[in-house]
Amino acid sequence: MLQLLKIDLKKMTSYRTFWVICGIYFFTLIVGAASGMEFLKALSRLIEGFGQQINITRIPLYHFPDVWQNLAWSGGLLKMGLAIMVVVSITNEYSYRTIRQNIIDGMSREEFLLSKVYMNLLLSIVSMGSLFLIASVTGLIYSPELDFPYGFTGVSFYPAYFLEVFAFLSFALMLGIFVNRSGLTIILLLFSYLIELIIKENIDNYLPGIIPFFPLESIMNLVPMPFARYVFMEIQDSVNWGSVAIASVWTFLFNYFAYLKLKKSDI
Amino acid sequence: METVLSTSKLTKNFGKLCAVNQLDLEVKRGQVFGMLGPNGSGKTTTLGMLMGVVNPSSGSFSWFGEPATHHTRKKIGAVLEHPIFYPYLSGQKNLELNAMIKGADPANISRVLETVELADRKDDKYKTYSLGMKQRLAIASALVSDPIILILDEPTNGLDPMGIAEIREIIKRIAGDGKTIILASHLLDEVQKVCTHFAVLKRGNLMHMGPVDEVGKGEEIVEVQAYHDDLGILLQEFVGSATIKKDSGMFEVMMKDGYHSKDLNRFLFDKGIVASHLHTRKKSLEKQFLEILADHKS
Repeated sequence: MLQLLKIDLKKMTSYRTFWVICGIYFFTLIVGAASGMEFLKALSRLIEGFGQQINITRIPLYHFPDVWQNLAWSGGLLKMGLAIMVVVSITNEYSYRTIRQNIIDGMSREEFLLSKVYMNLLLSIVSMGSLFLIASVTGLIYSPELDFPYGFTGVSFYPAYFLEVFAFLSFALMLGIFVNRSGLTIILLLFSYLIELIIKENIDNYLPGIIPFFPLESIMNLVPMPFARYVFMEIQDSVNWGSVAIASVWTFLFNYFAYLKLKKSDI
Repeated sequence: METVLSTSKLTKNFGKLCAVNQLDLEVKRGQVFGMLGPNGSGKTTTLGMLMGVVNPSSGSFSWFGEPATHHTRKKIGAVLEHPIFYPYLSGQKNLELNAMIKGADPANISRVLETVELADRKDDKYKTYSLGMKQRLAIASALVSDPIILILDEPTNGLDPMGIAEIREIIKRIAGDGKTIILASHLLDEVQKVCTHFAVLKRGNLMHMGPVDEVGKGEEIVEVQAYHDDLGILLQEFVGSATIKKDSGMFEVMMKDGYHSKDLNRFLFDKGIVASHLHTRKKSLEKQFLEILADHKS
């Protein structure tokens, strides 16, 4: 396993595009996640202009335990950046035809796919780790009082966030293996939300019960949007294990479909 | 001699097109095996199947007498069609990657770079290399695991005469080390110069397989030129002449079995004629190749 991961790391670590995309992604993830108070200040200035005033310090954005879900959801918005990196990585193998040479050199098709899947795992783990670190640090800075174990409520959103990123990267990898061309794959990836939304809206009138089983929907449901609670609405503030089960099955299927496609095609 | 590769009724169809048809090949240890055929005759598809990148439609093959797995491929060094590397990595890093995949000792890298004379450019990015350097790096990558078998597909394609000579030298040197080499090419004199055995493919069918030595056996053509007006008539009197052809002032005499140029020379001398030009020609692989292809046309 480690050997296969090392092979993919060797391909990527000398690739400038990898560092540029990862740099932008992690910079936005870390700095963006830590700048929530600045967003709120800007928002309050805007609202002030409409003759209202909100006391932003009253919004416990970074207080334990709110901070866990707030950042896990916000971080999830950025996973597209990482997915584009994955698309570039796999479609390069097709356009340079290096996938062919890798297999000629003695990799099996399974091993080739696994090297990419392990890389996805690593990127997901690093994303989760970075976000967890930011949440912990900002929570410690902003929370008026530390009340544990109550303060840990919602930490389970971090494994869910990890699954959210890994599931989406698996989806991107599968698309790349099926389409082979980077531009087309990225367009499909960007449009997949829209396509799924259109299907969902059309199906809503007849079979609303199956909507949670849609792939991207199930990934989105892993960490639900928390901010409605600040306008006194009920939110789902713990991980729904049904969503985890559905998203896990999809993650398995994405990788399995990629495997089947790779297995039967001439490279 | 130990068999390193044998194929049995190996077939590949692309839709309606049959690219390789029921191919039976056998390559033994130490051979330099040439695969000849016009473009599109199925050479690269065959090699692709042998190297696991093209799934056969039917038939089977075995390396070293065992069914092939990806582990057997690690013992084979292969370059198909054209060199394939990561353009943004240096030659050195590309070879490190090849060595990781093959499970080869990275210490081999500097040695193979010396073999193909690329040591001084190893830290430059692959995309800055000339075509000849790319081909040489491809040979280096095939050699990095110290393979038992080397597969080269059109290794001199697109090279200038000097590049061709260099690659040919490298192949001869590797063959001299006792490695088995499978060389696909449409360049006939290339195969004749470096190969011990050869097979001819045409539209996916095997037309011929045998040793290169046997090419031209039994048939000898002698070119004769002499200052004599009736040379053509005289040559017909010679008992060893099978056919006589006049070509730009020179006679080409196809000899009957058992007759050689020295018999012809003695015959002319007895007639009081001294030849100004006497040259024995064996049938070239090119000629035989064209004959093989023509034979099967009907």
